[in-house]
Amino acid sequence: MMLAALFTAACATQERTTQGQTAQQGSQSIPVDVEGLVYPELNQYQIPDIETFELDNGIKFYLIEDDEVPLINMNVIVRAGSFMDPADKVGLASITANVIRNGGSEAYPENDLNQLLEDRAARIEFGMGRTSGSVSMNALKEDFIDLLPVLVDVMTDPLLPQEKIDLAIRQQRSNISRRNDNPQGIGSREFGKLIYGEDSPQARVTELYTLDNITRDAMVEFHSQAYTGENLMIGLVGDFSVDEIRPVLEEIFSQVPAGERNELAFEEVDYEFESSINFVDKSDINQSVVFMGHIGGLRDNPDYAALQAMNEVLSGGFSGRLFQNVRSDQGLAYSVFGNYGSSALYRGQFFAGVFTRSEATADAINAVRHEMIRLQEEPVSAEELEDTRNSILNSLVFRTDSRSRVLSQRMNNEYLGLPADAFERYIDELMEVTPEDIQRVANEYMRPNEMKILVVGNSSELGDQLEQFGTVQEVDIEIRDTPPGEEEESVAGDAEAGKEWLNRMAEALLPGGSFDRDFVFEADNFVQSPMGEITIGVKQTANFQTELLISEVSAPMGEVVMEVRDGSGVMKMGGNEMPMPSAQLEQTKAELYRNYLFLALNSGELDAEFMGMVEKEGAEFAHIKVDHDFPMELYIDPETSLPAMATYRQMDPQQGMRITVTTHYNEWTENDGIYYSYEAISYADDEQVARVVVKSHSLN
Amino acid sequence: MKITGKLLKGVLCIALFPALAWSQSLEQFEERVTEFTLDNGLHFIVVERNVAPVAHFFTLVDVGSANEPVGRTGIAHIYEHMVFKGSKTVGTTNYEEEVKYINQMDDAYKAWLREYNKFEPDEEKLEELWAAFEELQEKAGEFVVNNEFTQIIEREGATGVNAFASTDATGYFYSLPQNKAELWFMLEADRFINPVMREFYVEKEVIFEERRQRTDSNPFGRLLEEFAATAYSAHPYKNPVVGWPSDIRNTTIQDTWDYHEQFYAPSSFTIAIVGDVDPAEMRRLAEKYFNPMEYRDPAPELLVEEPTQRGERRFVIEERSQPIYMEGYHTVNNQHPDYQALNLLANILTNGRTSRLYRRMVVEDQSALQVGAQNGYPGSKYQGMFIKFVIPNQGIEMEDVENTLREEMQKILDEGVTEEELERVRTNARAGLVRSLTSNSGIAQIMAFAHVNGGSWKTAFTDLERLNDVTVDDIQRVAEKYMIKSNRTVGMIKNVQDSSVVSN
Repeated sequence: MMLAALFTAACATQERTTQGQTAQQGSQSIPVDVEGLVYPELNQYQIPDIETFELDNGIKFYLIEDDEVPLINMNVIVRAGSFMDPADKVGLASITANVIRNGGSEAYPENDLNQLLEDRAARIEFGMGRTSGSVSMNALKEDFIDLLPVLVDVMTDPLLPQEKIDLAIRQQRSNISRRNDNPQGIGSREFGKLIYGEDSPQARVTELYTLDNITRDAMVEFHSQAYTGENLMIGLVGDFSVDEIRPVLEEIFSQVPAGERNELAFEEVDYEFESSINFVDKSDINQSVVFMGHIGGLRDNPDYAALQAMNEVLSGGFSGRLFQNVRSDQGLAYSVFGNYGSSALYRGQFFAGVFTRSEATADAINAVRHEMIRLQEEPVSAEELEDTRNSILNSLVFRTDSRSRVLSQRMNNEYLGLPADAFERYIDELMEVTPEDIQRVANEYMRPNEMKILVVGNSSELGDQLEQFGTVQEVDIEIRDTPPGEEEESVAGDAEAGKEWLNRMAEALLPGGSFDRDFVFEADNFVQSPMGEITIGVKQTANFQTELLISEVSAPMGEVVMEVRDGSGVMKMGGNEMPMPSAQLEQTKAELYRNYLFLALNSGELDAEFMGMVEKEGAEFAHIKVDHDFPMELYIDPETSLPAMATYRQMDPQQGMRITVTTHYNEWTENDGIYYSYEAISYADDEQVARVVVKSHSLN
Repeated sequence: MKITGKLLKGVLCIALFPALAWSQSLEQFEERVTEFTLDNGLHFIVVERNVAPVAHFFTLVDVGSANEPVGRTGIAHIYEHMVFKGSKTVGTTNYEEEVKYINQMDDAYKAWLREYNKFEPDEEKLEELWAAFEELQEKAGEFVVNNEFTQIIEREGATGVNAFASTDATGYFYSLPQNKAELWFMLEADRFINPVMREFYVEKEVIFEERRQRTDSNPFGRLLEEFAATAYSAHPYKNPVVGWPSDIRNTTIQDTWDYHEQFYAPSSFTIAIVGDVDPAEMRRLAEKYFNPMEYRDPAPELLVEEPTQRGERRFVIEERSQPIYMEGYHTVNNQHPDYQALNLLANILTNGRTSRLYRRMVVEDQSALQVGAQNGYPGSKYQGMFIKFVIPNQGIEMEDVENTLREEMQKILDEGVTEEELERVRTNARAGLVRSLTSNSGIAQIMAFAHVNGGSWKTAFTDLERLNDVTVDDIQRVAEKYMIKSNRTVGMIKNVQDSSVVSN
């Protein structure tokens, strides 16, 4: 103690002379002597009792009185979740919860419900996760009883109006289009898929194509499976008296149908240990998001306490080894974490993560792995284990530091089917954990050399750093509107008949036979824009043999010439010339290769499939799929053999999703031995985007 | 099952009731609050709350990034990180030796910086200087007891250990079992009376990572940083709290000492302790441990005033992420009479499912996935801004988003807001306060901030009473006064799939 005081004084002097500090800091401060502190006994604390009861319909209630503020808070655990979603309708459960709340009930439709609640600053919310759902209500005690019937009515008899379903689906689509903006979001989502499989209930996510299948009928069915007595656990904490509120709850909630209990059953996770390096390229970040690990374990494991102690050593608070070494010592990250997950319902994940500057990615991965290996190779010191244990034991009091926490722990425990004394047993076992135990479980459960590593990073900054971890596998995160592989797997059409239709079309379009001269047409293009329809004059020169395309455009803002030649493109405007951006070049090339004249001229080399005769707008057409670099579908008029309609899919960057472009061809006119459509109307999905009126066409 | 709505009829007659029910807290708290100021100017607020045998400790320092010197943005945040490095006795095996190397290391870094910042630095010399710096850094590191401060408190059961730096203030906090309050006093006084610049340059690497994580690699982070930098001309609210990269690089230990000297006077501190504690004992310990903190002149005041904006400002970030729209208007500081009316206006626009912009944009025309408004960004101690942001739905044009915001504001300018709307946001503001008074940490924050901003913890409650004075005319008046074009900044992210498509 004396020594410490001397040091402090000496240092203060040192500082004053070297750094010109003015105050004589520290000279009188109380020396730090943590060991010398004598703590009084912890104040007495009675963990509040929970009043429980069950209704005939299966609803279980958990009540704790708490009069600190004049509020009552109700939290319902719903035994349901997105794990119940049919594979082709992922998103059903969470959209149902959303629409229950946002659509209201017949007695309390949306607007009335919202006003009713917000006038009283009350809240009702519905949520749905993977393995459980929630309903909550928070209100002034005076309002609570009045609002209970409202909550029950909305929960048991929601309107689920179609317009709110459409809104929720639209919002989900927007969310999907945004999900690749956040590198950490990409990391945890894709890592989960690597561990559990992308179609597993543990890792799958809502996709545009699963939203397509979500119907009101499916939502009604899910609702009837989820919000029933057998699946509800209701917790109340707040300013009420149990004796007074119990009969009210019994009366109101006894009207909920019992239904059938949903089983929280999951197939055994089929996991094979392997070492792999997986990469998502994201050009707008300067920090790599790294997740690394493998499958974890179950809560019901005799080594649970030792594993929790190991987790605490590895990454507990500011004192964990990852924080100490990877962050404080090496400055490799602001965020670094790691945990062997033991879950109650299915095997958890063992993973560590580190977010580090692109250049340091490999170093950070190795630094994190080093900490795992060190746990396997050396026992933790007795002191480190003691600190770890103390940190857990001394903070136990915070587990029960509020009544709502006591309540939710009890409810969660029962929801997951854990024994009532699971936590007490864990603490008892924790007391017995030895350094050898930690080393043993580190070796038994962690496989630092058989981890899947996922890096979301910027390839232009990363260089070849990842190659030391194996053959880098790119993870495709493109947002799709059809299930992967479906396009290829779709029913194959008749190739011979397809070829035949393509040839018939070629003959009809080119009565003068094949040509290799430049094809020229002039047209007015009427484009829909936010300012209304605008007219753009276009003169286009194309050569389908040399793959040349020149568009001379006279738009309201001036003349622009776009020229694609020998695979590259330029734009000329007001005397300036600049290279065509690559996205636009692709777009322009696609225009050339999707022109029906290109198809006709190359009908000999192209493959096509006949998908059958289809009826559209009262007429019958031959449906042809053309397979080339720019796939498209044609609808050929069997009488004239001319294409009446063409469709293809393309990515719309503004919307962040793929759209269907459909063009209708009318007004066929012949010149120079070539038929050309003099009115072509294009639609993006169902909205008209352009109308091209051709004035002339010829060969040059 | 159907439960028909007798309740709806009952709504009107009790609509005035909630205002009363939500505002009974001031008297309750007066009995439980003890406050005192030490001779050196340090202020304590102690709140007895015997819900569980725990206590929360919140040290609020009335200094933030707005106070930073030119060229040293981020220093408030760097200092905040240093506070976790211990003291002259905690976290070191021998401070007397350690500090010699720390000082030499700083000199070596400054030498490297001088070369680095030359017009044409000599690469070879740079490498030499860096090697010399690293050698000293390593020597200083030999005395470090890694994270001893947090080791001690976590071993004793501390939870929620953390800190923050903002434009207006810096805060340090954690909770302990109530019987260990003295440990907090001992270590908290020590780390502010005997601060150290331990592992300074490695910690700056950590801070660079924090910047990459929150700002550089995050679209919203990039937008916010650009927004403040565009909206402000003179006031330091234009600078990001984390600091500009070159400022972080150029900041030395010496700079950080200077900053500490100037701004961490005892009078800058307000400490709130909330939990199962004995106020008399807290006072005894406060005097014992914090009286030795020497009086220093109060921190210099920031006198920069943002000049009146002369015309609308506007920027577009073209990048690969999805679109976000943001706009803001310069308004007032949090003690200005218009502050509360502006807050209520923000809530009328976007708080809850009955709010105007939520109804119009999220539900009716479905142009927005999310919409938000807030007064007092990026801070409120000085003249902040009233901001709105919109996350548009797929395929929505930014022009439409902007036009809708204008239309909705025009409605308020033309027709004002209703009494019913105003009463609803008032009720919700009261409820918000009551809800945040249900945890030790919530109470500590509210009381400490109220003391710093309003001069007393009681202003947390009296400000709510002031809400009653705000009329619908006030709402219309502040809209007219501040929501004008020349006072506006608009910023947005526009989605461009290929980075080469960025227009000229």
